[in-house]
Amino acid sequence: MKIREFNRGGVCFAAVISIVLVLTASIFGQAVKPSKGKTKLPEVKQIDAVALKEVVKPSGRPLLVNFWATWCEPCREEFPDLVKFAGEYKGRVDFITISLDDLAEIKRDVPAFLASMKAEMPAFLLKTPDEDAAITSLALPWRGALPLSVVYRENGEAAYVRPGKIVPATLKAELEKVLAPKPAEPAQ
Amino acid sequence: MKRTAVLSSIILAIFAFVSIAVVSADVAIGAKVDNFTLPDTSGKQQTLGELKGTNGTVIVFLSAQCPVVKAYNGRINEIAAEYQAKGINFIGINSNATEDDAWVKSHATENYKFPMLKDKGNKLADKLGATTTPEIYYLDKDNVLLYHGAVDNDRSGKTVTEPYLKTAFDASLSGKKIEKTNTNAVGCSIKRAVVE
Repeated sequence: MKIREFNRGGVCFAAVISIVLVLTASIFGQAVKPSKGKTKLPEVKQIDAVALKEVVKPSGRPLLVNFWATWCEPCREEFPDLVKFAGEYKGRVDFITISLDDLAEIKRDVPAFLASMKAEMPAFLLKTPDEDAAITSLALPWRGALPLSVVYRENGEAAYVRPGKIVPATLKAELEKVLAPKPAEPAQ
Repeated sequence: MKRTAVLSSIILAIFAFVSIAVVSADVAIGAKVDNFTLPDTSGKQQTLGELKGTNGTVIVFLSAQCPVVKAYNGRINEIAAEYQAKGINFIGINSNATEDDAWVKSHATENYKFPMLKDKGNKLADKLGATTTPEIYYLDKDNVLLYHGAVDNDRSGKTVTEPYLKTAFDASLSGKKIEKTNTNAVGCSIKRAVVE
């Protein structure tokens, strides 16, 4: 008999717990789930060829620049690694992304992808009538193939140029190299 | 002499400092491109010597999946048809390790009216220093490089103001100097067999 009573009590307890769980999930689910119209996408600033030259100038610390586009498969594939690097080197290496997407995507696919990647680096979209001149002005061994990652030393010199998808271990080693303290000059 | 030595030292110092992951050995404008042999989409071996035009040849690096190539396909076909009639032949090259023979064949059959060759191991791409799709190498009748770079200045094709390749064709066919021999343009990277 006791067993039966226990079972009845157990069923009641399980039912109460289930209702509480369902209600909690429903309430918290609504709070966490982003509502479509209200989700704030990251800001992507439009730049031209003149502004491009400015944004790739380091300001006091090394700078990692990634050129990409939402239509570029290897760019999308390497992005999670880049986001990891941005977090790992925050405060020691600045990091910006420059999209080569169509201008129409500046408020659509580009910020949506960055949001999906949880990318918080400053994001730009290059729009210029003369891509040839813009690419040439960077003075890099690059003809325009995406993706491209460049590590600049704090003095603005390009220390590492990686056309194509990054190899995380190599990029990490290159970042460590530019962060390594310079050997002291011999005393005279 | 002294100035040359100083300049050389500076250039060497710069290159020693910059680490470039993929070294591209660009063929210089005015240099002769050697004959090459590659299989077409039927597996038949083809040579530059056999496929070249009487007035020149275009080697164009393409991809079956690159959206930029897709946007250019119509324009490339139109230009190829227009200038084939003037003795300039087009040869498509696929150097992407990520695109297999069957894919390259179906894509070429559906999209191009000129031969497509498969560059397994990206040997030709390495030899010419090709990094992007689409990327153009325009050779004269003696296989000397006259123009290297983009088809035109607008990927979308909506507002082309500089049809680089056609301008180069028209200049060389009329015996004039090509003003712009080298251009850059955003495109897809060639997916090489050996990355690093």
